[in-house]
Amino acid sequence: MEPLALTGNYRMVAAIFVGIAFGFLLIKSDLAWRSTCLSALRLKDSRVLKTFLVSIAIGVTLFFFAEKSGLVHVHVRPAYFWASLIGGIICGTGISLCCRVPVTAIASLAAGRIYVIWVIMGMLLAYPCVNFMSGFLSKTIYTWSEPIKTEASVGSFFNLTNASLWVAGISLLLVLFLHFTLGSDSDEK
Amino acid sequence: MNIVTGKWSFYINGALIALLIVFCLYLFDDSLGMSDGMVVISQYCSTAVKDKAINPPPALDWQTGFLCGIFIGALAASIISGKWKIRFMQDSEGEGIAVTIGKSVIFGLGGGFLVMLGLQLAGDTFFGQWAAAIQMSSGGWIFLISSFGIATMVAILMERRKEGAKEGGDK
Repeated sequence: MEPLALTGNYRMVAAIFVGIAFGFLLIKSDLAWRSTCLSALRLKDSRVLKTFLVSIAIGVTLFFFAEKSGLVHVHVRPAYFWASLIGGIICGTGISLCCRVPVTAIASLAAGRIYVIWVIMGMLLAYPCVNFMSGFLSKTIYTWSEPIKTEASVGSFFNLTNASLWVAGISLLLVLFLHFTLGSDSDEK
Repeated sequence: MNIVTGKWSFYINGALIALLIVFCLYLFDDSLGMSDGMVVISQYCSTAVKDKAINPPPALDWQTGFLCGIFIGALAASIISGKWKIRFMQDSEGEGIAVTIGKSVIFGLGGGFLVMLGLQLAGDTFFGQWAAAIQMSSGGWIFLISSFGIATMVAILMERRKEGAKEGGDK
């Protein structure tokens, strides 16, 4: 079996429909709201964290079997250790201030939160800045480490050397831990 | 609970997001994330500002279509759920209106800038990193763990600072 790999207008139409489903899901899962995100970051509400962990647990399992059957291929952009780490630190600082990432910002704007326009403007301003610094970044952060290689997956899912099994298991354990330790009572005001 | 208007359980949300990510890989056979779509929009805005004119919109690629779809889906879901509200500033946390507006602008611009700066350094948008983590990319995991760790730390420190200031004011 092979991926469908749609092209042309079919690809565009499919992207719009998948986007609609994802936008719908962002609202239904409360990921788009500032209050829910802030409660999750302050470790007062586990709903967002549990959604993320469940998606990881199911996602790695689904992906493992889909890749084994040839339905999907690995598609990740090249990653560098220091770039990912520093990028994560900067992005995390930003998230704690605005409580949005690009997809949730767009979903919030669609839900009438006009003030999110400032977040989107800030995001769009970052592109020229990165372009301006690209020469500097290419000589520094991106040269400090080699690109991270994606490990080839093992043959069987229920194998102790299979990282996907560990990730799925730990994610489910964390879901249970969060379920019994943190509340999930926040609601969008 | 009404399935159309009510909240969905995190089990359902998590499972559907995972399914959607794997389904996207099957449909498009491409890296997920809206990085390319956002670059196109940013370049269009830069050109419009430079030329002081509204140029014809850029050609749509699938990632830009995905962004448009998110807007439509979120609009529909918020209307159906009764959560569509016009808000010009974020929720006030006991501050005056001027402070809340100021915080909406400064935190919005600054936060948004830092979020996208970090994402660009790491090489993809947050959704792309999420999808990369599902594909067991070490880069995606490093990014997600560091960003969540720092975001939690900063959010808790800011909350404590606020509570400290409040207690100081009460004395």
